Amino acid sequence: MGMEPLETFVVQTTVEAEAAPYRKIIEDVISDLMIAGAIGRLKIVVRPEDSLFQMVTILREGLPLMKVDDFADVGKGTSMGEVQIMIREERPLPRLLESLWARYGRGAVTQPERRTLLITVGDPKTEIPLIKEMVVDDPRRTLRSRLVDMAIRSTPEGFRVRYHSLDDNNFIFVASEDPMKQEWIDEADKMLDELKGDDVSGIA
Amino acid sequence: MLVALLDPYIYEGGVHKHGLILELLEDLGGYLVQKTAASTEVTLIMLIPRKDVHLIEELGTKLLGTITRAPMTGTEIAVVSPTLAYHHLPHSACDVAEYLRHGGANTNMIGLARGMGRRVALSADYERKLINEHDIAIFTFGTFSDCIMNKKPKLLEGINIPIVVTGGPDLNVEDIPNADMYIGNIGRVAHRLRGVDELKGLDRMNEKVGELVDRVREDIAKDPLAVLSPRVMKEIHEQIPDIHNVLAPAPITLQLDGLRVKLPYEDYHVAIEMLELDEGVLLSDVARITPSKMKNYILIKIRRRSDVGFIL
Repeated sequence: MGMEPLETFVVQTTVEAEAAPYRKIIEDVISDLMIAGAIGRLKIVVRPEDSLFQMVTILREGLPLMKVDDFADVGKGTSMGEVQIMIREERPLPRLLESLWARYGRGAVTQPERRTLLITVGDPKTEIPLIKEMVVDDPRRTLRSRLVDMAIRSTPEGFRVRYHSLDDNNFIFVASEDPMKQEWIDEADKMLDELKGDDVSGIA
Repeated sequence: MLVALLDPYIYEGGVHKHGLILELLEDLGGYLVQKTAASTEVTLIMLIPRKDVHLIEELGTKLLGTITRAPMTGTEIAVVSPTLAYHHLPHSACDVAEYLRHGGANTNMIGLARGMGRRVALSADYERKLINEHDIAIFTFGTFSDCIMNKKPKLLEGINIPIVVTGGPDLNVEDIPNADMYIGNIGRVAHRLRGVDELKGLDRMNEKVGELVDRVREDIAKDPLAVLSPRVMKEIHEQIPDIHNVLAPAPITLQLDGLRVKLPYEDYHVAIEMLELDEGVLLSDVARITPSKMKNYILIKIRRRSDVGFIL
């Protein structure tokens, strides 16, 4: 099922007016964890009077690997045997540095300026395409932990009795401060079915 | 009555020649509550005799600084969040605290150990006592009216200072048991409050908390304190020089009816008790000096005229 990132994003609360502020919290959590690209559809229901939080998510398939070329310009440096990387995005920088250190050694990598890296390599001609294709981040590898993190951060803090299930691309999370009830999990399963059938293209 | 009416003001300007302001302030009989210098800028929090405010204003303008009234000066406010987890911190609880400091208040952040949740939320005796040492307590709650009205108010029980509750929805203070004031539009958020509406909410909070402080001041004025807390602060500065070696922010924190002195109680309580305010009048004659629940600091609560029988 090909889906756009966050093509469905619904937050429901008992008092209608409280849904929008809560949605804002979820939005912030999603952007903090850089997880928006991984989520296709998301529905959250909060019933504070029952101390209940339900979240169902359908993940997108085929997340692209993050390569150096995606966020940086790689080219020749000013001096011989030097490669210059100009970074457009700073977030992946720590991981990039780790990969570069592993390959070329710490001494060979310098950062004269916030967005510039200089690497002394043997032969820039062969190394430049190699660096361009270097995989800095595999979103699938970290997705699971980020997803759990997102669920926990999105939940009201006191709701520490939790149920979760992740199979294929479907993630169900139910939380409460009271003992878990099977009917809540069944409800969430039903929500997931609805979410799957919910075709945003408008064709029933 | 001999007690001059002191008005709280903040001066923000360059370090250059700011000593002139301090000299003038001393000549006028005002008090410097706190001085914060950051590179070439300086912030002075002052209590100025009401009828002489214009003099400081004139001098401040000449030095190209700004003087603004800061009604919360000389207050110590507890910003209480249900816990210290990322659900509440740094936003919005820290934003609330920071904004109150703009208004001149000294704030302490208090995260309860078990304040989260609905049925399970509770506060410890120690926590309540610590909160009660402050002038005002601000509880930062979340998005859901059901929680704020029905479940969270049990955290307010046992708090006997004025209580302000902040939260997301628009509620009436009457619907929240034990609360003295409710300020909406500041609920749980996971980002820094910098939107126009969010800042408006914080502005309104400062305004309303300022009014609350004024109300408490008026209440105190009906049966005034035997000695002004800034006066005690000045005497501590002069008689206990060790206070100048304290690295804590605001080594002496003013409260509406007392002070917190950030010196160890065991070593210094005798010196504080023996502080001479006037010929033959010691601080222990006009105030209760107790160990604070905060670290091993000293808490001074000044007694009223009806209790002591005189005013210094």
